[in-house]
Amino acid sequence: MQRPDPASIFGRYEFLVRRLHSLIGLLPVGAFLFIHFVTNFSILDGPATFQMRVDQIHSLGPITLPVVEWSCILLPIVAHALIGLIIVARGKRNLLYYRYARNFRYTFQRWTGVVAFAFIAWHVFDTRGWIQESWWVAHVTHPLGGGTFDAARAAATATASVQASGWVAAAYLVGVLACVYHLANGVWTMGITWGAWTSPAAQRWATMLCAAVGLGLAVMGLGALWGMATTVIR
Amino acid sequence: MNTTSNSSSFHRPIASDCQPGQRFYVRVLRQDGPRKRRYWQRFALEYEADMNCISVLQRIAENPRTDDGRDVAPVAWECNCLEEVCGACTMLINGWVRQACTALVAQLLQDRPGEIELRPMTKFPVLRDLVVDRSRIFAILEKILAWVPVDSYYDLGPGPRQSQEAQQMAYLYSKCMSCGCCLEACPQFLKIELEYREGETPEAYNARLRTANMRAYIGSHAIAQVELFNSNPIGAMNATERLDALVAEGGIQVCGNSQNCVRVCPKGIPLTTAIARAGRAATRHIFRKWFDR
Repeated sequence: MQRPDPASIFGRYEFLVRRLHSLIGLLPVGAFLFIHFVTNFSILDGPATFQMRVDQIHSLGPITLPVVEWSCILLPIVAHALIGLIIVARGKRNLLYYRYARNFRYTFQRWTGVVAFAFIAWHVFDTRGWIQESWWVAHVTHPLGGGTFDAARAAATATASVQASGWVAAAYLVGVLACVYHLANGVWTMGITWGAWTSPAAQRWATMLCAAVGLGLAVMGLGALWGMATTVIR
Repeated sequence: MNTTSNSSSFHRPIASDCQPGQRFYVRVLRQDGPRKRRYWQRFALEYEADMNCISVLQRIAENPRTDDGRDVAPVAWECNCLEEVCGACTMLINGWVRQACTALVAQLLQDRPGEIELRPMTKFPVLRDLVVDRSRIFAILEKILAWVPVDSYYDLGPGPRQSQEAQQMAYLYSKCMSCGCCLEACPQFLKIELEYREGETPEAYNARLRTANMRAYIGSHAIAQVELFNSNPIGAMNATERLDALVAEGGIQVCGNSQNCVRVCPKGIPLTTAIARAGRAATRHIFRKWFDR
């Protein structure tokens, strides 16, 4: 019997890449989003509490922290985003012809992914300048007005970056909500991809579960954003 | 089994608005050959009792004259069973992908008075007018081994018994007629249409087309067929081969969970259930492949 033609070089790893993309969206990227929201939500308990949370993170140490940040946050997000952009480019959205709720969720998953990536790229540059290497900081980050966050004055610098302008606050609102939708709906599709919920009834229940997760995350994220936008540091 | 199919909406009762002799128009998106220019033509017809889109096309073939009085070549289309079990007459009718044989004119005119629009499917290369080349579907079925290989040189005796539950599920999957509705509606399934290269032989072209077909997404119909044949006690003997094909390039991983397929399937096949179950099987298969050998 004739066997399938050999796959292309990229195609041989397509399954692996897509499953990795699915997995890292939850761990570590989704887990980081949750921790990030919880940390920033503490601004509602006052600037001192928020500073304490930041100090706890930085207590990992000046060598350990960057290693953790790069391996568990930055690289997974970049990998997830780049694979995601390829996925978006290789689909042909048809929501105008097939106006089903699930098709809307499929389409919106791609839109929020792209929006979240653009937002995160800007947000990380604005607060951290992407790379904390002296040449880069002096020649790229500072001339472009990035790297505004200072861990020693966490509350003051974090609130200042959100309060920079109405446009920035609006960008945060859109960015936070895009991330929340993308994660909540992503957990739902992940459950189908890996085979956790298979029947239509189970998938309806999973929809409600993921909506609850999304609502919870939205409350955390918007609460943190509200705190950052309204807390005044003297 | 709860399947979210829209087939019930296709077969709802018709208000008898249409009277025999009533005039209506049919707009057809035409194309004279592969990769040729597309153009619209409109035909005027008189309603007859119980008319469907096949009889519409037969009336046009009898008298291929547009509503502005030009004699044109008859519209080409394909049909076979005329009872929605072969899939040959699948086309876009008023923008919906479905079979022309069960698209009743009275119902179509009730939904959109005065005119019916016929277009070829968009995910397959057009051969002429409403005829498309769906051979990719059959190349895909070959790829996933959508049959039970049985050596018939001698009598193997009866096969193992199957539970009622397994039979019921298998029956749902076995209703697939490879019509391509699920692929037409799928945002992850893209059209493949290759041009002949300069000096290319038909053999070389066909080999290139086959490779392209084999590497692209298989679609939910094929994933349901993997479930069907892997659930069969004898078919399960080749389960590993089918799962290997399922996780090969263009396999189940390309699915984006838009779930349009299950909404447009005319046979109400639980395609998304098949995708999730096959996803679970693929997960198990890949772990077994990496860690059990």
